[in-house]
Amino acid sequence: MSVSKKVVLLGHFGVGKSSLLRRFVENTFSESYTVTIGVHIMKKEVHLEKESVTLVIWDVEGTDDFTKYRPSYLMGASSFIYVFDASRPVTYSDIKYNLEHLKEKFPHVSVHIIGNKVDLVDSEVILNDLKAQDIQHSYLSSAKTGENVELLFQNVAAQLLENA
Amino acid sequence: MDSKERLEILKEILLTEEREFDKDLVLKIEKLKSRQDNLSDRVTPILDERMDDFVENMPKALGPVITETLKTEIKKSQEAVAEALYPVMGKMIKKYVQAEIKKLNEDINKRLNKTFSFRNWFSGKDNNIDAAALMYEQYKARIEQIMIIEKGSGLLKANYAKRPTLDEDMLAGMLTAIKSFVEDAYNQGEMELERIDYELFTIHLQNFSNYYIAVVITGIYDDDYKDKLEDVLLDFAQFVVNKSDLENPETFTKKLKSYFTDERI
Ligand SMILES: Nc1nc2c(ncn2[C@@H]2O[C@H](COP(=O)(O)OP(=O)(O)O)[C@@H](O)[C@H]2O)c(=O)[nH]1
Ligand SMILES: [Mg+2]
Repeated sequence: MSVSKKVVLLGHFGVGKSSLLRRFVENTFSESYTVTIGVHIMKKEVHLEKESVTLVIWDVEGTDDFTKYRPSYLMGASSFIYVFDASRPVTYSDIKYNLEHLKEKFPHVSVHIIGNKVDLVDSEVILNDLKAQDIQHSYLSSAKTGENVELLFQNVAAQLLENA
Repeated sequence: MDSKERLEILKEILLTEEREFDKDLVLKIEKLKSRQDNLSDRVTPILDERMDDFVENMPKALGPVITETLKTEIKKSQEAVAEALYPVMGKMIKKYVQAEIKKLNEDINKRLNKTFSFRNWFSGKDNNIDAAALMYEQYKARIEQIMIIEKGSGLLKANYAKRPTLDEDMLAGMLTAIKSFVEDAYNQGEMELERIDYELFTIHLQNFSNYYIAVVITGIYDDDYKDKLEDVLLDFAQFVVNKSDLENPETFTKKLKSYFTDERI
């Protein structure tokens, strides 16, 4: 029985939160879009060099205004994964505003910023755009191709164990 | 076909195809009625009334839910209709019977205003196992699973299940989400959700400051049982649980198991 941690996926509707989770846990992908209502919970044990950690991941209904998140869904989280859609600038233009809210309400919870759907864009272009806007992302990923998906969750897990 | 006819068909299905399930129960009640003559002077009227109510109200209660299904299925043979509805019906009827017996039990208790209960009634007189005792046994409350869950995170800190369940970590998380959703919706400060009914299960929630205990129960969960259960859980929290247990799910689970394996309740 490894240690369990709560992780919450945040971000606008349709950026690929549920798809990333499905790719990570079930290694599948679907083009069809099913809107998440309320919250959906999945878990996966991540094995790192010395230890293992079970990520219990809450996939909550998307929103563009993070102040609208139900506080109880975010409570007790050890990490947030903030997902945006690299092919739709509106989904990352408000990152600063939303991060501020998270910093204020959950000062001790680390936030990982992920640019998803990288398969749809020229990564050069998106990297420049993020740089211009001073957005500190941790990974560009694709739930469709699987690019960086395993890695981004591994990174979350590793950081959780470091802080434990 | 108007709704009355549909209800007739439904009634027929319920009272023929469902007899399989019911037959036993009705037989037991019949037997019970004929056997417990002196008591039955007092009890039979209530029982009759309840049974009549049951038969009369069942189609009314279930009608709206299945009208839609019936609309499409009704053209086919009655057998096919019954087959389509069977899984739904079985559960609904079982739940209905359970609820009715619970009401009946409470009703009798109230009217006789004593420590009279099905249990006493059934076990009185001769101690042979009779139909009634079997019936009581059948519907008696039973603990299926106990989970200790951290508030906020919804992380499972201890778990004891009689049989393997679907993923208990997800179950714990979903329960917590539902619980906080309901509590947010009422937003009445101290209000906390105490119970969830799900199909044939009752989930009793006992709240403590940093965690809550979720007990999954089948059978008749009445006030009497709730009282007893609360006492046992409060004792457990007071005398068995330490602060450090939440940090150590493995030992916590062991504690939980050893406390509840001897069918304490
Ligand atoms: N091309 C592409 N499409 C994706 C990717 N991730 C998700 N999608 C699609 O985007 C839509 C929304 O995904 P979903 O995971 O439901 O988004 P959520 O609302 O954030 O949970 C779906 O139609 C997915 O098939 C990706 O990495 N690449
Ligand atoms: Mg979703």
